[in-house]
Amino acid sequence: MSLLQFDDRADAPPEEDWAALGTALGRYARARTNRADLVEDVVQETLSRLVQQCRDRRPVSVYALGFRIAANLLVDHHRRDRRYAGEPEEQQPSDSPLPDRVVAGRQELVVLQAALAAMPPLRREVVVRRRLHGQSCAAIANDLELSLKAVEKHITRGLADLHRALATGDEA
Amino acid sequence: MTRDRHAADDAATWVHRLDQPAMDTAAGAAFDRWMDADARHRDDFADMQALWHSDALAEALRAHAVATPPRTVAAPLVRRFRPARYAMAACAALVAIGLATPALLTTTYRAGHGAGRSVTLADGSRVDLSGDAELRVRLLPWRRDATLAQGEAFFDIHHEADRPFTVHSGSTDVRVLGTAFNVDRQADDRITVQVYRGAVSLDSAHGEQVVLRMGQGARVVADRLAAKPAAFDLTQHRAPDWRSGWFEASDVPMGVLVDKVRRYADQPIRFADPALADRRVSGRFRISDPDRVLGAIRAAYGAEVRRNGEEIVITSNEAAHD
Repeated sequence: MSLLQFDDRADAPPEEDWAALGTALGRYARARTNRADLVEDVVQETLSRLVQQCRDRRPVSVYALGFRIAANLLVDHHRRDRRYAGEPEEQQPSDSPLPDRVVAGRQELVVLQAALAAMPPLRREVVVRRRLHGQSCAAIANDLELSLKAVEKHITRGLADLHRALATGDEA
Repeated sequence: MTRDRHAADDAATWVHRLDQPAMDTAAGAAFDRWMDADARHRDDFADMQALWHSDALAEALRAHAVATPPRTVAAPLVRRFRPARYAMAACAALVAIGLATPALLTTTYRAGHGAGRSVTLADGSRVDLSGDAELRVRLLPWRRDATLAQGEAFFDIHHEADRPFTVHSGSTDVRVLGTAFNVDRQADDRITVQVYRGAVSLDSAHGEQVVLRMGQGARVVADRLAAKPAAFDLTQHRAPDWRSGWFEASDVPMGVLVDKVRRYADQPIRFADPALADRRVSGRFRISDPDRVLGAIRAAYGAEVRRNGEEIVITSNEAAHD
């Protein structure tokens, strides 16, 4: 009958775990959008949905589910913003970036293109097929006559290369 | 340096594995362990996941892909984003502080079994929680948020022009424009809202938005507005039915009705046949009297209600005669 008041520490996983997850989600969201208010919203909403879902049934991976929820929320917010702005739904966002995103976006694009150009052609081909065309690893392995292991290695090495190029580009 | 490179390679491997259609339990647990182990892992993963999803990467790849068109073309992953700025390590500390704090300001209110209780929030707003309800409230200097995680709640919100109050329930948001209203989280994807004073703005996850005024109600099912806002009789209903132990059902799943009865029942209630929980019911039920409601279900909807001393089991008639 009684109403209990307590803070989240009592029934949720330890606060510091949520804080670590929140920090990681924030870092991800911040890299995806320039809207600081949106970052906080996405992180809070993701954490609150996670708490609910964890209560029903523990997910295969809390972190993986968290990142998936955050990615979906960013898509939703982005669509909603576009609707409010009166833009047509099907327009490719990359064709018309926000004015204040252009400079940072262009610099990033130049670095990524240079890193792709420096990549072994086969690796580049695998990354293009996986990320741009959404081909499954099995289909890529089949098309390019590679083992599944080799395909996976090309994707992860390729991504690590691109990440490194951006990290050193930021320092410069 | 080699160590850094190693961590970055691991992060890239996890981005790839999460990008696959399925993840097994062992891999999921391994990923959580790896993320928990080191802040550096989390940073690298967050950066690489953002890079992998970014429009900038898609655009850079597009330029290279022109030369080599693929044989099979499937839908691209995520592409509705503007090019995003790459997170710099220098920002990380700031982000950590900014984000960890609001989570600590959240207060959770829970009502136990039974009729529920009233609670007054720090801003003077009053919330009546139904039995078995859970509400999380976060009051910040510039905004107020409440999340109805479970159950039903009647809000009488203290109006503050520069501090909006938003109620989140599932994927539905109710923005308060200074008012008294009821939110019923009937299921994770089924929420109804009724306004008793003032007005609220209702946002479904699908981007639909509707303003409900005094005497209007609406229902969101599976992220969509289920119907146009409908009027209810304010002279008959000065406060939500549940506060006096009633529930007025109009074409709702039997499972929703039984959930409300569970708040008052002294034993667990279970559907032997899940299909029965989906059967539609209409009527005015006295949920504070479980026996009466179960009797009505038995009489009107052809269900058998059995008590075995530990729980109450609802079975369909056909099954009962087998």
